[in-house]
Amino acid sequence: MSENKKWYSLDLGLNKTKKSSGTCGCGNAEGSCSSTPKKEEELSPDEFYEAAINASIGEERHKDGFDQVFDVKMDRRSAFRKLTASLLIGAGAVSTSCSVTTGDKSKEKAQIDWEEQFKGNYKLMTDEEKQGTIERLMRSYELRTDKNISMTAENAAEDVLFGYAFNISKCQGYMNCVSACVEENNQDRNSEMQYIRIHEMKDGEGFKFDKADDNYYHEVPAEGHFYMGTQCFHCDNPPCVEVCPVQATWKEEDGLVVIDYDWCVGCRYCMAACPYDGRRFNWSKPEVPENEVNKNQHYLGNRMRKKGVMEKCTFCVQRTRKGKNPACVEACPTGARIFGNLLDPKSTIRWVLENKKVFRLKEDLGTEPKFWYFMD
Amino acid sequence: MKNRTLIYYVVLLLGISLFSCKEKDGYHSISDKIEGESRPYHGNLSSEDLLMDTELIQITEGEFTFLIPERKGQIKSFACIECHSKPVSQMKGTTAQKAHWDITLNHANSDAMDCATCHNGEDMNSLNTLTGKNIDFNLSYKLCAQCHSSQFEDWKGGAHGKKVAGWAPPRASNTCVNCHNPHSPSFETRWPVQYNTQKGIERKEGLDH
Ligand code: SF4
Ligand code: SF4
Repeated sequence: MSENKKWYSLDLGLNKTKKSSGTCGCGNAEGSCSSTPKKEEELSPDEFYEAAINASIGEERHKDGFDQVFDVKMDRRSAFRKLTASLLIGAGAVSTSCSVTTGDKSKEKAQIDWEEQFKGNYKLMTDEEKQGTIERLMRSYELRTDKNISMTAENAAEDVLFGYAFNISKCQGYMNCVSACVEENNQDRNSEMQYIRIHEMKDGEGFKFDKADDNYYHEVPAEGHFYMGTQCFHCDNPPCVEVCPVQATWKEEDGLVVIDYDWCVGCRYCMAACPYDGRRFNWSKPEVPENEVNKNQHYLGNRMRKKGVMEKCTFCVQRTRKGKNPACVEACPTGARIFGNLLDPKSTIRWVLENKKVFRLKEDLGTEPKFWYFMD
Repeated sequence: MKNRTLIYYVVLLLGISLFSCKEKDGYHSISDKIEGESRPYHGNLSSEDLLMDTELIQITEGEFTFLIPERKGQIKSFACIECHSKPVSQMKGTTAQKAHWDITLNHANSDAMDCATCHNGEDMNSLNTLTGKNIDFNLSYKLCAQCHSSQFEDWKGGAHGKKVAGWAPPRASNTCVNCHNPHSPSFETRWPVQYNTQKGIERKEGLDH
C-alpha cells in the first residue's frame, strides 16, 4: 500500500517485523508488554483489538450505508466512549506491538474494516490505492465466507466511448435481458431489483410510459403491441452526477456513469434528478444466494452492495472493459441490442447512428444519453 | 483614462469568453464529441480470445469485411450427397428411406417459394440462386439477400443480426441462419422468461407511482 494514503491507517502490528526481545515499541518504562496479566480484568491483546475497534467504528462494521449515516447515536456518553476508544487504539496499537502473533484472522478483519472505513473516494484514488481497496475487499470476503471472488479495478481504456442502440422493431418482449442482468450484476433477490425495464406499449399510440406495462406476463409479442427497453442511458451530460452532494457518482473517461458504493451516503438526490428512472436504491440489505453470486466483479460494477446505497446499470463495466458485450446484449435472442465504441468509425454502433433514423428519449433536456433507439 | 477603459474592455472580453465555453471537454454535443475524437480503434482490447472456440470464416461484402460462423460443420446431415447420390427426381417414389419429415416450409407463400427456390435437385450439396447459380452452404446469406435486400444492408452495417462475442474488434456477426430457421424464419411467440412478483405486489397495493 502506498505511503501517502488519503486516509488514516491503523497499525495493528500485522506488518511489523519482530522486534528484538526485551524492547517494546511502547516506550513506556512502567507496565509490561509481557503476556502475564497483572489484573484480572485485563484483556488479551486479541480481545483488546477487537474491543477497541468495535468501540470506535463498531457500529459501522455491522451497519450499512443508510444506517451508517443517519442512524448514528451520538449522546455524550457514546461520544466520550468513542474518544477514549480512539485514544486507546492509538496507545494500544503501539504498546502491544511486541506481543502480536501475526496472522490472526479477527485482527486482520479488524484491520481491513478500519482501512475500508477510512479510505478515500475511489474517483480520487491512485491506481495503487484502487488496487489496495480491491485486495482488501477480496480478502474480507474470503475471511467472512471462506470463498474467493475476483475483483478488478480496470480503468477506462483509451479511445473508447461506450454507446448503445436499441432496435424497437426487433424487441419481442421476451425479457431474457432482464434475467441475464440480474444474474450478472448480483442484484438483490429479495426486492427483485432490476436495472432493465421492458415496456409493452400499444401500437399506434407512441411512447406512453404511463399507459405502458413493464410487468406483463402473457405470451409475447402480444397482438397490437410493441416493446422497448429502458435502463440507465449513461448520459454524456448526466444530471444525476451534478446533484450528488458527495461526488459519489461520476462519469468515467469511457462514458460510463458509475457509483462508488462506499462513498454514497444514500441521499437519493441522483434518483430524483434522473429523468429516465435509471437509478435503483437499496432499501434493505441486498441478498444473493452464495451459489448464485457472480464472482467476476469490478469495484464500480457488480460487487456486492449494501443497504442504503444507490446502484444502477453500469453497461456491465466488469465485462465491457475486457472487450465483452454487456450481459443484456449477449442474452438478447433477437439482436435488438447493439453495443460498441462510439469513437471507432468502423464499429457497428457508428454505422447504426449514421445510417438509421435514431432518436433518444427526452432529447430536449440536453442530457445527451448515449443510448439511441431506432427501427428497421 | 483611455488606457483604463481599454483594460476594462479587455477584462470584460476575457470574462465573457471564459464563461461562454463552459462545456467541460470542449464539445457542445455528443455528436460533436464523436466526430471530434473519432479514430480507428487500435487499443489492447480484442474479441479474439472470446472467438477462439467458434469456427469462423471471413467474408467481404462491399466495403465490409467481417467474420461469420462456419455453417457446414453445424448441419447434421452434411454432406447431402451422402444420401442424395442421384437427382431428387430419380429418388422420388423409390424404396429409399424417407427423410426430412421434420421440415415444413413456412416461408413466404407457396406461390412464391418451394424447396427448389433454394435447393437444386440435381446438386444437393450446394444451394441454388434464383438464376440457377450455385452457392456454398457457408455463404447462405447470399441466398436470403436476394429477396431481403434491406435486411441485408442492415446486416452488413451491423444494425441487423447479433454479434458473436464482444464489442471489441475483430467483428464477428451471426449469419441469417444462426437466428432464423430458413424453413420457418419468423420468431415464435413465447412466454417472457421472468415475472417480477415484488412489482406485482406493489402494484396491487397501489404503491407503484
Ligand atoms: S439515465 Fe439517469 S442515472 Fe443514467 S446517466 Fe442519465 S441521468 Fe444519470
Ligand atoms: S444517493 Fe446518489 S446523490 Fe446521494 S450520495 Fe449516493 S450517489 Fe450521491
